[in-house]
Amino acid sequence: MSYMLPVEMESIDNESIHEFKDEILSIPEMKAQKSQPIQELGEGSFSGGLQAKGDDKMWRNVVCRSIKTVVLSNKLNMLMPFGPLAIFVHIFTGHNGWVFFLTLLGITPLAERLGYATEQLAFYTGPTVGGLLNATFGNATELIISIYALKHGMLRVVQQSLLGSILSNMLLVLGCAFFCGGLVFQDKEQVFNKATAVVNSGLLLMAVMGLLFPAVLHYTHTEVHFGKSELALSRFSSCIMLLAYAIYLFFQLKSQKNLYVPLNEEGSQNEENSDDDDETPEISKWESIIWLIIMTSWISFLSEYLVNAIKGASVAWKIPISFISVILLPIVGNAAEHASAIMFAMKDKLDISLGVAIGSSTQISMFGIPFCVVIGWIMGRPMDLNFQLFETATLFITVLVVAFLLQDGTSNYFKGLMLILCYLIVAASFFVHVDPSAADEAGT
Amino acid sequence: MEIDKVKDPATVKLHSQVEMGSMELKSILGYDDQGLVAAPEKKSSDEAPLKVLYSSGSGSFNRKVMRNTVVHSIRTVVFSSRLNLLMPFGPLAILVQTLTGHHGWVFLLSLLGIIPLAERLGYATEQLACYTGPTVGGLLNATFGNATELIISIYALRNGMIRVVQQSLLGSILSNMLLVLGCAFFAGGLVFSKRPQVFNKPTAAVNSGLLLMAVMGLLLPALLHTTHTELHFGKSALALSRFTSCIMLVAYASYLFFQLKSQRSLYVPVDEGEEIHSDASDDDEEVPEISKWESIIWLTILTAWISILSEYLVNAIEGASVALNIPVAFISVILLPIVGNAAEHAGAVMFAMKDKLDITLGVAIGSSTQISMFGIPFCVMVGWIMGVPMDLNFQLFETATLFITVLVVAFMLQEGTSNYFKGIMLILCYIIVAASFFVHIDPTAIQDKPPETKE
Repeated sequence: MSYMLPVEMESIDNESIHEFKDEILSIPEMKAQKSQPIQELGEGSFSGGLQAKGDDKMWRNVVCRSIKTVVLSNKLNMLMPFGPLAIFVHIFTGHNGWVFFLTLLGITPLAERLGYATEQLAFYTGPTVGGLLNATFGNATELIISIYALKHGMLRVVQQSLLGSILSNMLLVLGCAFFCGGLVFQDKEQVFNKATAVVNSGLLLMAVMGLLFPAVLHYTHTEVHFGKSELALSRFSSCIMLLAYAIYLFFQLKSQKNLYVPLNEEGSQNEENSDDDDETPEISKWESIIWLIIMTSWISFLSEYLVNAIKGASVAWKIPISFISVILLPIVGNAAEHASAIMFAMKDKLDISLGVAIGSSTQISMFGIPFCVVIGWIMGRPMDLNFQLFETATLFITVLVVAFLLQDGTSNYFKGLMLILCYLIVAASFFVHVDPSAADEAGT
Repeated sequence: MEIDKVKDPATVKLHSQVEMGSMELKSILGYDDQGLVAAPEKKSSDEAPLKVLYSSGSGSFNRKVMRNTVVHSIRTVVFSSRLNLLMPFGPLAILVQTLTGHHGWVFLLSLLGIIPLAERLGYATEQLACYTGPTVGGLLNATFGNATELIISIYALRNGMIRVVQQSLLGSILSNMLLVLGCAFFAGGLVFSKRPQVFNKPTAAVNSGLLLMAVMGLLLPALLHTTHTELHFGKSALALSRFTSCIMLVAYASYLFFQLKSQRSLYVPVDEGEEIHSDASDDDEEVPEISKWESIIWLTILTAWISILSEYLVNAIEGASVALNIPVAFISVILLPIVGNAAEHAGAVMFAMKDKLDITLGVAIGSSTQISMFGIPFCVMVGWIMGVPMDLNFQLFETATLFITVLVVAFMLQEGTSNYFKGIMLILCYIIVAASFFVHIDPTAIQDKPPETKE
């Protein structure tokens, strides 16, 4: 079990709700707004293995099927129109509250489809590159939003949204998964792989250490050069954390090779050969890449509007920006992972749930946050690891509670309930929390 | 033999915390089979003379029988424990207060006077639990287990002494986790120095998890306030505390529910771990010593007595602090809880020496969990109802102390074994904590009396 699994189970999930799996359609003229760019790109081999250049009808078939597979197959995609709607509202009314809300809704299905496309691509690339793909694109949505916020100099929003993503993964997603799984399997205790959970907890604690030192250094006014030292320290620590994460990936891949299980098959649903494409991929390699690019650009596009609307939404709805960044943004960004984690827990596949929840937290804390610091460094933004004392302490106590609860390798509904209640406490405290440095949103 | 009565409160804690009931309680109870004056048989839920009284319908039919019953009851409850020698100190304290008003003495005497009452209260609760079945019995234990501390806290709240409440509850948690547990491990380890004693890991883990969650609940309001990042300064921490208290009470309720559910699967007769008397697996597995109504009456009497003495105790705290020349913090955090926990302390040590570490853990850690997840939020709620701004912001020093203590204890418990060295470590940690509170002044106020705005 590893970080690779987050995307694996999404395919299994989609299989069950996939309506158009094997259908090769004739020409239903379904024009989605995304069909145009695809027709321009006509290279590579499709799953039919055709020389596609000559036949317009074939092309259109393929394109339509692709769209149908990717866009129309998932119930979540009903939220897709909210994206363009948000842009619409922004242009016409500029009411930030609504724009923010609609963009949130619009991004949710895109994030999920991005995960789907990533996992489809992972079929073709083999476990190594597939794992790396998942490791980077797993939280692409949060990273994209963060990069846009960085560009606008909203450093606190970046820090808080990344922090909130970690908290939501560790407490809310994991708690709901444990709770639902525990309710379904009341007679026995569910178990999961202790060793993996412990390694992840260790990495999370290391991340907390990386965040704690700059914060404490600044708070105790003991920097050598006030204000500049802890920025330098943050950048250096980020490099170290990225190095640690890279080694962690390497370590995971190496130890997985020894116990190689078909990449996308947990239960033996289709007894295929232990090949790379154990589960039939649904779209071809080039389609995957294309969709990946499309999704990423759409998400980027919507993120721009989202980030711009945050402040206005905070004023319009009278809630602190911290609450929006820490609680609201991540809940939406994680919605798809949330649902799949719960679903896997209810199928007694707790290892996958843990991979989704804790693996995602580890990824954000050891890769996402340092990555943003480095990006900020490149952009010339003073993004640092000083998340301010309150946020850092919250993360610290949360990591401790979760690490403690995970250490015996079992789960029951009470643990899930405890985690959810802890999340409520954290959410409530951010509801009444204002930033001490709230004035400098424009980056100091 | 009489000293064994002191262990009864230990079983009071057991119900809700540990899977198995008390073991060998029979063997250490002094009054197993003794037939006393008017009660030849105790197998039924009501004693013979009472049956005669009630069933015959003529209540005062036989005065002699009634008096016998009352005398027997008093003898059972009041005179059976050596600890009850301290009982006269209660009225003595009131006397001293009325006549001299010397706070130092009043404080000491009421402290001494409360100890036996607290122990008897536990005894009465456990007796009542015999009649009510495991569910209600567990609930009884869960609430009355720390009734003494809660009563003292409510009186202090009424007087607006919020810091005293916070500190005494905190001190109770610390004393249970460090001192009681440490002494138990130490004593048990000395007796069984050849091998490490073991206890039930999952239970300890669940309790540690709950304690950590409680620390989280306390940490966030304290941090919010200390870093000056509240939305509405002073008011947000209070609102957050009240909300968090509701959540903690919900968590505690579900913990009880969860415990009861998982206990049903491995149902062991409530008060009997081993089959000493192989009675039918009935609710009154252990022969209760006093009837149900007697239990309730004694419960009421003892609670009333404790309340009265608490009033004097609380009123005397500040004066005692001045008279004895020690900080109020030390009195609240160290002295009050040591006294309040005296009976549990003795019980825990004794069970450890009999290699029944699970009961010890139930007493010590279970009590800590109870106070942190039920007692503290309950006081916040009561304060809310009373209009007193009691919140979860225990100030940074106290909160940090609790945090590091919980970490140390959780870490030591996690492997499920104990030895005398662990016990010594815990005791020494407690001495460090006590010493630090000896030189600790509250940043907020020297006078705790008026409902203060924080800072």
